[in-house]
Amino acid sequence: MILAEKIRVTFNKGTPLETVALRDVDLTVESGQFLTVIGSNGAGKSTALNVIAGTIRPDAGSIAFDDVDVTSWPTHRRARLVSRVFQDPKTGTCEDLTILENFALAQSRTRPRGLRSAIDKALRERAAERLRVLKLGLEDRLDDKIGLLSGGQRQAVSLLMATSGDTRLLLLDEHTAALDPKTADFVMTLTCDIVAALGLTTVMVTHSMAQALQYGDRTIMFHRGQIVFDVAGATRAAMGVADLLALFRHDQGEELSDDALLLG
Amino acid sequence: MSLYEFLGTVEVGLVFGLVALGAFLSFKVLDFPDLTVEGSFPLGAAVVAVLIMSFHWPPWAATLGAVAAGFLAGFVTAFLNVRFGILHILAGILVAIALYSINLRIMSGPNLPLLGAATVFTPLQGWGVPTYMLSPVLLAVVVLAVKIGLDLFLRTGIGIGMRAAGANPAMAAANGVDVGRMKLLGIGMANGLTAFAGALFAQIFGAADAYMGIGVIIIGLASVIVGMSILPTRTIVQATIACLFGALLYRFAVALALKADFLGLQASDVQLVTAVLVVLTLIGQRRRLGLAQLLGRRSS
Repeated sequence: MILAEKIRVTFNKGTPLETVALRDVDLTVESGQFLTVIGSNGAGKSTALNVIAGTIRPDAGSIAFDDVDVTSWPTHRRARLVSRVFQDPKTGTCEDLTILENFALAQSRTRPRGLRSAIDKALRERAAERLRVLKLGLEDRLDDKIGLLSGGQRQAVSLLMATSGDTRLLLLDEHTAALDPKTADFVMTLTCDIVAALGLTTVMVTHSMAQALQYGDRTIMFHRGQIVFDVAGATRAAMGVADLLALFRHDQGEELSDDALLLG
Repeated sequence: MSLYEFLGTVEVGLVFGLVALGAFLSFKVLDFPDLTVEGSFPLGAAVVAVLIMSFHWPPWAATLGAVAAGFLAGFVTAFLNVRFGILHILAGILVAIALYSINLRIMSGPNLPLLGAATVFTPLQGWGVPTYMLSPVLLAVVVLAVKIGLDLFLRTGIGIGMRAAGANPAMAAANGVDVGRMKLLGIGMANGLTAFAGALFAQIFGAADAYMGIGVIIIGLASVIVGMSILPTRTIVQATIACLFGALLYRFAVALALKADFLGLQASDVQLVTAVLVVLTLIGQRRRLGLAQLLGRRSS
């Protein structure tokens, strides 16, 4: 479970460029829930994700994972409880390391790093077994540098790495936005399969309203640093992109003017 | 080039191989341009000289003491960067400058001869073979052991974490690597290696000198760049071999350049020759990189 209370984030504080990115945001994500997050550029959705991951420290408010207060924990410490897939496949994997070494790195999230060789037979078998599911033949390329893989392949591996430890929380940061439609579909299907199989608590930020409604079981929308609506269950199941827009217009009294959100 | 000169060049090349391994760790693995080595090289020499001459430590213990001192110097540089956000290059320059004064303090003067003292090379005497032939063998064994140790370390859990911390800090942090701590450890290790080289250098030439650090960073970097642009560097094992090879090659290049009468160079031109060599290699690398990118684009 993720519990965020009264989160406030201000960028460039004390300068003429000061902007409030999150205004006292409260958010609870129940265990096992798959939450999708939408919002236009600068609405605060990515900031919210970074606050959960620990890369942005809020000015005020608190964050807890399963009743453990992690507000003061740096990113690397939170990595024991939460894993993340980045938007850019180049960020999610380390291109100078081999596929296997990337897995070793991800696995050490929940196991202490020591002075023993990071790669052993057990890891090799585990990695091969997980890669076989992709049907991309990567299980035979374990010792290849990951920089040799395509963006889509790297993103799929990144997803496997993020879900290979004992972490129960998964953060997806527009993780299909940089991929071509076919590959994006492949990675999204893989995501749903893994999340369902492991019962992970998931937060997926997306730029596409259609994707936000199609996947997961709850959708929230950020606008100007606040959550402007929060739909789940039967209400959400009956909604289309047009309904979302109508809801936004009704609540905010303004038109949404971000083409990417509408067309994506 | 006589056999004596040849072996002397090998000797110095091997010592600077340690500096090259240190530069590989800081510049290549951690992506941290560390200039502390200008101070930690003479620091290693000063510490080993004082420990041997004034404290009568056994030579190997004194050498280990020098390594520890170098580690501490690198740790301070990384700490200034990690904890206080001081630019890495500046942090290194600040520590190197401070070390200049500290080295004068340690030696109570600008230099300290190791006259008549036992060094790590003393046990090589009395085997019926001249020391100048045996000491390169001893150095080769030591340097290769360090190289293998470094290779193994970079394959451990901590080692992989360190490589990721340098190559992709955001990803490393998201996978639970404390990037700051890796810099502290890695820059400490790099300067430990450099101080090790300084300690051996002082024992070979029989004196520690406060000025012996000038240009060390460029020699280390030149070794890494020359070696890595000639030999394949797909794996860590290959990359560290390239560094050692580069250090030897660099020494021979400089020795030959100084010997070639038609060039009209003298010993004091060493730093100029080094700088020119590095610049030429960097330009060469850029060209080749550009070509590779061009070909890559065309094929994809």
